[in-house]
Amino acid sequence: MSTTTIDRLRDTELSYRATLVGGAVSVFLLIALLGLAFPTSIWGNFLAILTSRSTLSSALRLSVPITFAALGGIFSEKAGVVNIGLEGLLIISAFTAVITTAIVGPEMTVVGLPAIWIGFFAGVLSSVLFSALFAVVCIRFKADQIIAGLAVWLIALGLAPFAATVYYGGVNTDNLGTTLGTWTIPVLSDIPFFGAFFDADPAVYMMLVAVPASWYVLNRTAFGRHVRASGENPKALDTVGVDVSRVRYAGVLLSGFLAGIGGSALSLGLGQFVGNNQTMVNGKGFIAIVAFLFGNYNPVGAFGASFLFAGLEAAQIRLQQVPGYGVPDSLIQTIPYVTVLVVLALVGRTRIPAASGEHYDTGDDNR
Amino acid sequence: MSAAETAKSVLRRLTAASATERILISFAALVLAVVVGAVIILVSGRVTTCQTAATTLFGTGFCYDPVEVYLVLFNGALGEPFLVNSPGILKPLNPDWNPLNFGFALTLKETTLLIFTGLSVAVSFRAGLFNIGTQGQLVLGGLATALFSFFVAPLLPSGLVGGLILIPLAVIVGALVGGLYGAIPGALKAYADANEVITTIMLNFIAAQIAFVLVSEFFGNPDSQVVETTPLPDWATLLPVAFPQGGDFSLLALAFGLALVVAVWFLLEQTSFGYDLRTSGEQPEAAEYGGVDAKHTTVTSMFLSGALGGMGGAIWVLMVMGKWQAGVPSLGFDGITVSILAGNNPFGVVPAALLFGTLKSGSLAVQFGTGVPKQLVGVLRGLIILFVAMPEFFRMLGSAIDLEPDRETVATDGGRLGGDDE
Repeated sequence: MSTTTIDRLRDTELSYRATLVGGAVSVFLLIALLGLAFPTSIWGNFLAILTSRSTLSSALRLSVPITFAALGGIFSEKAGVVNIGLEGLLIISAFTAVITTAIVGPEMTVVGLPAIWIGFFAGVLSSVLFSALFAVVCIRFKADQIIAGLAVWLIALGLAPFAATVYYGGVNTDNLGTTLGTWTIPVLSDIPFFGAFFDADPAVYMMLVAVPASWYVLNRTAFGRHVRASGENPKALDTVGVDVSRVRYAGVLLSGFLAGIGGSALSLGLGQFVGNNQTMVNGKGFIAIVAFLFGNYNPVGAFGASFLFAGLEAAQIRLQQVPGYGVPDSLIQTIPYVTVLVVLALVGRTRIPAASGEHYDTGDDNR
Repeated sequence: MSAAETAKSVLRRLTAASATERILISFAALVLAVVVGAVIILVSGRVTTCQTAATTLFGTGFCYDPVEVYLVLFNGALGEPFLVNSPGILKPLNPDWNPLNFGFALTLKETTLLIFTGLSVAVSFRAGLFNIGTQGQLVLGGLATALFSFFVAPLLPSGLVGGLILIPLAVIVGALVGGLYGAIPGALKAYADANEVITTIMLNFIAAQIAFVLVSEFFGNPDSQVVETTPLPDWATLLPVAFPQGGDFSLLALAFGLALVVAVWFLLEQTSFGYDLRTSGEQPEAAEYGGVDAKHTTVTSMFLSGALGGMGGAIWVLMVMGKWQAGVPSLGFDGITVSILAGNNPFGVVPAALLFGTLKSGSLAVQFGTGVPKQLVGVLRGLIILFVAMPEFFRMLGSAIDLEPDRETVATDGGRLGGDDE
């Protein structure tokens, strides 16, 4: 591809994103304007919801699983393995975290570590193991990555309710009676509105650290360079003597690690795993994929998109509590999914890493 | 060589890859899934508590015995032709067994529904499109059928004549709505390059919510606490023929499904549209070069796939429920397993659907008979897909014991896995 085409592509991408961000901002301004002009109307309600501290704090909480899964997806896909199984990784870690905590005993402490944190790490570990299985299937056995990813999702979707039924007699686990709780930073948490950043789930702080850290690893370290080369031009990487398979394994395992944090935080934030229908994960893994596409594989952009989707979800939940206008809840619940569709339709033409989704044969296999 | 000929030769080379090998892979995947399933059963038997161990291995007692679980599963799916509770390895035949029994009706009911969803997935996969949205297409198609039948039924004479007019029309309505809903991700893919895996999954969520709102707010049965439509009169539904009433299985629906299998095969293999569809799945560049309108083919294939899913929903409403009810079973997701197991071949869908139908119907007997939760089938569903997706594993296994020489990698991007020949 010549430089001019790349530039043009970049320009169209930028204009897509600019339009979307501009659109989101102008919608917000419109609501603000209408809300200020008619404080007693629906618009006044909208504005009150969008600017309330509790909406911000639930948006932050809701964006945790999406952001972590999206960060994981970036590492995996940048390394050249399309990981559509993020949803499955979230499900398995969410379930393992709760059941481990329950088995250890929610109020127990083992070697100074509260049971809930043991559950948290067990959830992460389960996700890493699952992603290791996925990595072996995709890299060693050259499976079609999309189908293998679907399999990871469907196995988790079957396994979690199955195991819950074996242990609890129903697809939902019992409530642990305890959650990860909140870490409150004194003084800063008293700031109006933005204080929500300093009075949050521990996982929210982890997310706020993980996003810039991922960006740094990906863009400023040798490992990040290898990951990107492994997805864009594995042959070149091979030529300079780096084992492409190893980089890809690392990318996929890292995606399991990150998605695992998201899944554990999701269920332990509630203290329960819900296994009905699509389980409590309910498409967050797939929304994460759209989030990092929207963010153009940039961890910060992916966080922005995740926060946007989570914000819609948070506003949607609050909107259901506002009486006086006849839109059914189920219809409001579709807002995040519809937005994801629209976003995907508008930024569909993202440039994915050139060699992503393809097997790379080093040629030194024994066959 | 002209472009069309180039495309044709590429296609021939791809599909000529050994059919037996592909069937072998499907079988091996199935066996492996069953073995891994057995391990999962054993492990979960350690977690749960029971009075007496069902089996003892290496001096450790387990609450569930995998061999017994699978025996009960297949026996239950066939309506208990064997007396599995009797001691000994060889189980005596059940003297009261009748092929037209309840358990077997359940199996055939699941099989029939899975033929539709399996075909739906197969058509899209053959076109190189990962339609994960059969579930949503089925939900909305089924709802359209239920509502159409409900509003048109009073206008028609009740009884056989009314049924003969209404049922085909209702199935067509379901197919149309499912097809249009399937065409949405098709158009998004063709014109906006939006990944169909994600869009179809999002549309599944949206379909479930829309259907829920429509029924709970507007078209619900006022006499019911559940979110469901008003039950249709008996003459407007597919009643069981020969099989017991409660099994919800109609031979007519199965016959229709089998006819569709032949029709889909004919469309894919014998028509120029089918040729375009397959080429764009297997060799999109060659197809474009050969003059195939890729955008048009994408939308049409997705419409067709959605229509088959919608018909599945129509049959679910007309044969099983007699109404639409929230909480539609995950037939669309099972269709993915069926199609992948069948190598995306229409004829392969029939045995694959029968097999998976057996698993689903037998899982109920397993839950009653052994206490192993019926969600086991959900686990097997994923495992089967995983193992079919890794043919290389079985090839390595095969070459390790020197069974067969290596062949080219199976193309899962629209390539068919278990096909016969061109």
